[in-house]
Amino acid sequence: MKKDFAKLNYYEMLDIGPDAAFFEIRHAYNAALQIYEADSMVSYSLFSTEERRKILELLERAYLTLINAQERKKYDAELAQAGIIPATTDKGPHRRPACIYDVKRQTGTTVLPKKTNKSILRESVEKNKKISEILSGPEINGAALKNIRKELGIPLERIAQETRVRLDYLNCIEEDKIDRLPAAAFLKGFIKAYLKSLCVEPADDISTRYMQWLERARKSG
Amino acid sequence: MAHIWPIGGGKGGSGKSFLTSSLGRLLAATGKKTLLVDLDLGSANLHTLLDVPYPEKSFSDFIRRKILRLEDVVLATPVPNLYIISGAHDTLDIANLPYEQKSKTLRAIARLDYDWIMLDLGAGTSFNTLDFFLISQNSIFVTTPEPTSIENVYRLVRSIYFRRIRQYFTATEFKTLEQEVTRKFGEGSFNKPDCIIQTIKTTHPDKGELLESDFNSFKFKLVLNQLRRHDNIALGAQICKIIEKHLGFHIEFAGNVAFDDRVHDAICQRVSFLERYPYTRTAYDLRELSKNIAQSGSQQLLLRYS
Repeated sequence: MKKDFAKLNYYEMLDIGPDAAFFEIRHAYNAALQIYEADSMVSYSLFSTEERRKILELLERAYLTLINAQERKKYDAELAQAGIIPATTDKGPHRRPACIYDVKRQTGTTVLPKKTNKSILRESVEKNKKISEILSGPEINGAALKNIRKELGIPLERIAQETRVRLDYLNCIEEDKIDRLPAAAFLKGFIKAYLKSLCVEPADDISTRYMQWLERARKSG
Repeated sequence: MAHIWPIGGGKGGSGKSFLTSSLGRLLAATGKKTLLVDLDLGSANLHTLLDVPYPEKSFSDFIRRKILRLEDVVLATPVPNLYIISGAHDTLDIANLPYEQKSKTLRAIARLDYDWIMLDLGAGTSFNTLDFFLISQNSIFVTTPEPTSIENVYRLVRSIYFRRIRQYFTATEFKTLEQEVTRKFGEGSFNKPDCIIQTIKTTHPDKGELLESDFNSFKFKLVLNQLRRHDNIALGAQICKIIEKHLGFHIEFAGNVAFDDRVHDAICQRVSFLERYPYTRTAYDLRELSKNIAQSGSQQLLLRYS
């Protein structure tokens, strides 16, 4: 069953470990005040005015003791004597906040920026023989674009996400559904965006070739 | 044996019935046979929330012996796997259930053959409500982030423990216990279950031990309902912490449920909120809550009624 609040040790009152760092103590005290203050909703009606006053008093004493390095040392010694917490060394058992900057770090070991996904992609476009074969072929149509994309193993959804071109338009382009394509003025931009997101260069020329193919296909069809 | 979950919370209007019906729908959707029992005696609403506006049988029929077995009072709802014992046409004096009727009901509920049984309990801390809570080791307290509601939850928690202690003693024993506690801890301390327990441990060590193991087996959960955007989201966890620290009872915080005006709309239109507005924060919270509860269905011990 529960222990009386007044019989808890200061660490228990504030819900922290005996090795808490100073900022943790301050933080715990603030959190406790949020709970026990007179206008707090959490403890509303749970305590009488007198009980609340006592609790706040105890919390304050706990905080003032633990936040003061000398007082805390004395208090820790008392607790250690009673066997409640392990005995402390002279250095102090308390954790210190971790350094954000490591001043001892050796210079000259700067880390290279990681290769972005784009540069990896560009490399694989350049190395891939099949893609250069497709690009040097006679015609660039939707099927050709799809083959390039398949070679790179990139899902169509990702292109839609990156280029913000509607997925059904992208599908129509890849499947060569000529009668359902958007107007030419938009289409050229879409093709360029598609190529750019795959890092296939030169996007301008290839998209022009696509438009030429489309014109021919419309005339003959 | 069924997992029985009493759902209550002291204050009226905190969303107990809505929560019960929503959890019932979600648990039934997992394929488990789920029964909701409307034990908000005298102000039953559950049938309305479950779209059974004119139930042909009700809990009263069992109390008045028109229907002898409680399982025959069960009605099917439009939701698959979800059943209800309605309180729609209860007699007007049902709120004052006599003791024998209550224990008969408790025994009958414990014998029902369902996977999940949820009891929708009324507001207040009357003996009936408290005893329905004590049918199971599990229960769910519902509170809203308002001082009125939180006040009543603290009261309810204390009352439940007080009632449990009371069940171990006869009237005269209890009277002497009261005198003993007041002598030891001063005026007003008989309202504090922890003072009583401490006294019992010295005067009746055997009963003190039983009570302590009882209390340790309780798995109460707290749900913070109707949380608005600017409310403190840590409130629920803080309440559980303070109950544990100062009352010595372990209550697990089960989650927040966001406030949504559309709950009102769904109730007015008498449709399921979860179906009409499945992509709201509130619906998401409810689904998370039902998962939490489905995972923690544990052993059910009928306390003193079997």
